[in-house]
Amino acid sequence: MNLLDQPISVSDFIALGNQIFETALPSVMIEGEVSSFKVNQNKWVFFDLKDAESTINCFMSIYGLRTPLEDGMKVIVTASPSLTKWGKFSLTVKAYRPTGEGSLKKSFELLKAKLETEGLFAAERKRALPSLPKHIGVISSTQAAGYADFIKILNERWGGMAVDVAHTLVQGADAADQIIRAIKYFNELEALPEVLVIIRGGGSADDLGAFNDELLVRAVAGSRIPTLTGIGHEVDTSLVDLAADFRASTPSNAAEILVPNRREIYARAHTQVAGLKTIVLQSIERLDRDLKDDLESVRRLMRQGLDAAFERLGILRVAVSQVNPDNVLKRGYALLRGETTVGGKIEVETFERIVEAEVKNVRQK
Amino acid sequence: MSDKNNIQNKLNALGELVEWFSSSDFKLDTALEKYKQAEALAEEIEKDLKTLKNDIRLISKKFDQEA
Repeated sequence: MNLLDQPISVSDFIALGNQIFETALPSVMIEGEVSSFKVNQNKWVFFDLKDAESTINCFMSIYGLRTPLEDGMKVIVTASPSLTKWGKFSLTVKAYRPTGEGSLKKSFELLKAKLETEGLFAAERKRALPSLPKHIGVISSTQAAGYADFIKILNERWGGMAVDVAHTLVQGADAADQIIRAIKYFNELEALPEVLVIIRGGGSADDLGAFNDELLVRAVAGSRIPTLTGIGHEVDTSLVDLAADFRASTPSNAAEILVPNRREIYARAHTQVAGLKTIVLQSIERLDRDLKDDLESVRRLMRQGLDAAFERLGILRVAVSQVNPDNVLKRGYALLRGETTVGGKIEVETFERIVEAEVKNVRQK
Repeated sequence: MSDKNNIQNKLNALGELVEWFSSSDFKLDTALEKYKQAEALAEEIEKDLKTLKNDIRLISKKFDQEA
């Protein structure tokens, strides 16, 4: 029996139509411009997706609203087509991402302003990273070049760490959710890593879009474990970067921030030891100089002593010369020897002569 | 004691030795002995740092679906 030969109810027809959609088009990606965007009861999101000629209704739960949407933004939606019980054709949106530079920027700025107002990027929320961590958690795609760069630099610079790696997507519609699950996993461990590093190499603004996902930004901001991001290149700043405790400019830079360079440390140790040689040599020179100074002082004191002795000697010599009999005789005096009685023999010594004589008379003075 | 602590202890010990050379405790008589200790420590630190390896462990849990 051919189904179409028999009448069916309106509800059955809509159910049949939906069955056909589920089989033929379980999921489609459609690019268009958002218009008539509205949120009902803070639960349901409605908007139209349009291009120059056509428009289609879109519907999604508020929980799917991961980045801001506004009329005029270009997006790519991943959705399932369906018929409502009122017979209207619509898309149930599973995921979406802004596309085109203008829309990406707009979405980024809107969410940034919102989260900034909540204080998620405030400087006072930032925690210090551990110095010389023993246990780190890494969230990245293990196939990504950025991950390879990070691990290479990490291993070159430091060792002895336990590095637990959660492999996740780092781009595409599922990336944000996978990274959120990995953050949750690390935060629920009994032995928490000392730091959580989120790594992703460079890419286009579209590729890095996952790191501007609101729920992911909130998960990073809410992590019990301090976070470090190394996402993209120097010029790429994502909202996840702003929410993290520390942002590295690249995956390699993240490794450089996280651990010291072992080569620099042992080179510094050797330099310090070499410096000790200089200290010892300077100390020896100082000692030598002090000894020389002491020796000079002793020499000076000895010279002063000798000079004083010589001076005293000169004085004594003068004194001695003054009492020398020859000097007295020189002045015209004479020495008298012998008996000074009448008839006595005497000897008279002058400076130049010795005269022998006889005493003829003696009288009292 | 972990390798890291060993290295940290050795770095601290080297730091103390280096400080001694600039302190008022410095004596030329014992400087040679202290210098030899510092030289040996620097060698050990280099050797330890060169041999340290990281233990990189890929978590077996998959993150592509809600647990």
